[in-house]
Amino acid sequence: MELGEFVRSRSSEILFAALQHLSLVAQSLILATVIAVLLAALVHRSQTLRGVANAVSAIGLTIPSFALIGLMVAPFGFGVTPAVVVVVFFAALPILRNAIVGLAGVDPALIESARGLGMSRLGIFLRVELPLAWPVILSGVRISAQMVMGVAAVAAYVLGPGLGGFIFQGLSRLGGSGAIESVVTGTVGVILLALILDLLLLGIGRLTTSKGIRG
Amino acid sequence: MADIDPRTETADEQAPGSQTTGSQPADAQTADEQTDRETTGRSIWLDNVTKRYPGQKRPAVNGVTLEIPDGQVVMLVGPSGCGKTTTLKMINRLIEPTEGRIVLGGEDVTSIDGDELRRRIGYVIQAGGLFPHMTVAQNIALVPKMLRWDKARIAARVEELLDLVGLDPDVYRSRYPKELSGGQQQRVGVARALAADPPVLLMDEPFGAVDPITRQRLQDELIRIQHEVHKTMVIVTHDFDEAVKLGDWIVVFREGAQIVQYDTPERILAEPADEFVENFIGSGAALKQLGLRRVREVEAADAVVAKAGANAAEALRRAEAAGHDHVVVVDERGRPIAWPSRRALSRMTRLPAQLDPAMPLVGSGATLNDALDTMLVSSAGATLVTGRSGVFEGVVDVETIMDAISSAREAAAERSDDAPVGTNTGAVAAVPAASDEQRPANPGDAAVGPVSDD
Amino acid sequence: MTEATTASGTGTTTESVRGWRALGIQILVLLAILFGFGIWVANAPLSPTERNTLNLSTILELTGQHLALTIVATVIVLVIAIPLGILLTRGPFRKIAEPVLAIANFGQAAPAVGLIVLLFMLVPDGFRASIIALVLYAILPVLRNTMIGIRGVDQRLVEAGRGMGMTAASVLLRVELPLAVPVMLSGIRTALVLLVGTASLAAFVSGGGLGLLITTGVNLYLFSVLISGALLIAVLALIVDWVGRVVEHVARPKGL
Repeated sequence: MELGEFVRSRSSEILFAALQHLSLVAQSLILATVIAVLLAALVHRSQTLRGVANAVSAIGLTIPSFALIGLMVAPFGFGVTPAVVVVVFFAALPILRNAIVGLAGVDPALIESARGLGMSRLGIFLRVELPLAWPVILSGVRISAQMVMGVAAVAAYVLGPGLGGFIFQGLSRLGGSGAIESVVTGTVGVILLALILDLLLLGIGRLTTSKGIRG
Repeated sequence: MADIDPRTETADEQAPGSQTTGSQPADAQTADEQTDRETTGRSIWLDNVTKRYPGQKRPAVNGVTLEIPDGQVVMLVGPSGCGKTTTLKMINRLIEPTEGRIVLGGEDVTSIDGDELRRRIGYVIQAGGLFPHMTVAQNIALVPKMLRWDKARIAARVEELLDLVGLDPDVYRSRYPKELSGGQQQRVGVARALAADPPVLLMDEPFGAVDPITRQRLQDELIRIQHEVHKTMVIVTHDFDEAVKLGDWIVVFREGAQIVQYDTPERILAEPADEFVENFIGSGAALKQLGLRRVREVEAADAVVAKAGANAAEALRRAEAAGHDHVVVVDERGRPIAWPSRRALSRMTRLPAQLDPAMPLVGSGATLNDALDTMLVSSAGATLVTGRSGVFEGVVDVETIMDAISSAREAAAERSDDAPVGTNTGAVAAVPAASDEQRPANPGDAAVGPVSDD
Repeated sequence: MTEATTASGTGTTTESVRGWRALGIQILVLLAILFGFGIWVANAPLSPTERNTLNLSTILELTGQHLALTIVATVIVLVIAIPLGILLTRGPFRKIAEPVLAIANFGQAAPAVGLIVLLFMLVPDGFRASIIALVLYAILPVLRNTMIGIRGVDQRLVEAGRGMGMTAASVLLRVELPLAVPVMLSGIRTALVLLVGTASLAAFVSGGGLGLLITTGVNLYLFSVLISGALLIAVLALIVDWVGRVVEHVARPKGL
């Protein structure tokens, strides 16, 4: 069986898996961004807490994704839940680190200026700190997106959704017909999705970053 | 004054409603004041205010009692780390005082909501503190938006403020801060602080981050703006010359926010309280005083005036009769063209009609410093003074300037009871009313003179 | 993951002391976890199948395989990426540096599982296939940090070196590379950690390693084995990271 035929004959299945993969990653990214930015907002003013958060982020990124997926099977069983938990966990780490860098990088003079204008703490966070840190946060989101695309593929091993399934199907039918095609479909599919998502995030970045701070 | 009537030539410019208040005589000035906007400022009263930081033995600010009269510009100066900035920031409670009260226009604001308080007080920091992700208009609109003004009112206000600070609204409204020069950013920072028309404006080293030429221009601009808005302004600076230039009053601090002297610039220059203030003023206090006074405040001497193209011999005769060494040649609008000596006149038949670029000339709004400089450059020992539209007004020489300085010293020595309260002792029985009848409406006026934008 | 490590900063002496203390705590915690794990394995009520897999010799053997995969891949990565990185900062090759980085970045987006399985289909030897996949996967951080490190060297220092009459080669060896070492090391540490994690995927293609405990655990529904595998891989990754940090700490040029 050749690749073109494989893709054609199973196009709807591939499309479904791709959409699932993308939706798992995208939703996890949104969740991870919210969690990470909230955490960063809480810790970035204290140097000690910043250090702790950065250490957690660094150690978290050291843990192999496959190992964490294995660990998550114990409390959550097989299926979507462990996949989501692991993907969100890994997605949150680079975003957390970048959010801290971004928020800490906001010129204190601007924050004082905002306070001097009588802006509330929440107002300052939402209207000054967050918009100014946003480009850095977003670049963290892009790093996360690329990384968790692959993590989501591994998550298929514990029956998570998405394109990873094709890779493991191919592996299980090793030497059989369509095995290579299946693995190639899964692998290339993930790469393409990663590219699409990256372009998407790039576009979102353009739309959501003020012209005044664009490089 | 000149023996020609400028009105005949420049009647159109004398029409009622024409401004340039500064170059008018004193009575016109007071009339103008009344038509001008009322003083919108409010007085500030720091009552025995102390700031202690945990873990530090000595308080950063120790029991400061300070009265800031309404509608006046008060400069806080002192070496770095003396607590002047801390004092400033306690006024809008960016830094919460450990002890003491802050009274704004009679209202105790020590424990009201800080954010709410700060929306009523304009605040300008070094380099403007503009938010880089917002346009100029968005930056200025921030406080009005928080106060829930409607859109049309905000837009109109932004326009008005950009005009006020000398930026064309159509050009600058939708620019981002990075597209502005340092001086322009600072102007927008001032506009933003004035957005909700707060009675009080606080500035922390506002012109510290710009080059000297821009700084001078911004200072002049601020003087002009203050002339229009009459706010109460408190400005922190480490530059004593800036304090002299901008301030109606100057507070000199030393470490721990100890108030060493609180007085008018004239008096501080003439009678520094102690060696510390003297050192802080630096050398050339007398020269600095020259910068405080304007040419129009000293009495210009008359001169023999003749029209361009007139008979030289006749002019020479008049000069001899008056005992003057020079004759001022003016054009048909009364503007000086040349200033020939008697000896030069004796060699000509007709008075020159060509402008002599080397002739020493200053406007009446120039400082005595400028006038002296002009004299030194031209080595004439005197300079011509022109008023509105460049019309000749008289001659000022070195001696006039010397006299002016000594009289200023005497005047400064006299006005000693007016000064607002500024102590570190704390307990002062009553708030001396800012509207004390003894005090001139604008103490700066007496010495500094009306500020003009010539 | 790749940018995680570029920020390890310059250090004053107090910072350095604090650094050592942090490193000490890190390894103590890791050893404590291993110790706890050992006690748990010795005392847990395990079935005979579980006992069969979770014994010291098996674990040591799998750990050995895991380390072998990691180390062999790392050596190959260093041999390829460092000279390539240096080359791409030299005169004529600077122009193609960006395209090469872009391609490497693109390759990083490939899921490691897919890469390993595909290579196994082309090279039907689990160990070799895994090594090739691992190398492909880990080249980027080392390549990129080598380039960043060398580019980050103050050009005035390079000029000073040339001005003293040093050859281009000796400027590279005696000025540029030593100054680039901290950044390069942090890239290498990133690659190592990445490799430890990715090497666990070799189990899918019978390439060996601790991943085998996870696959066995999943296939036979032996949670204790699964969790042991996951835990051991995570601890191994953290230990390798620790070794990397220690090396960085020691090798940082004095005066930086």
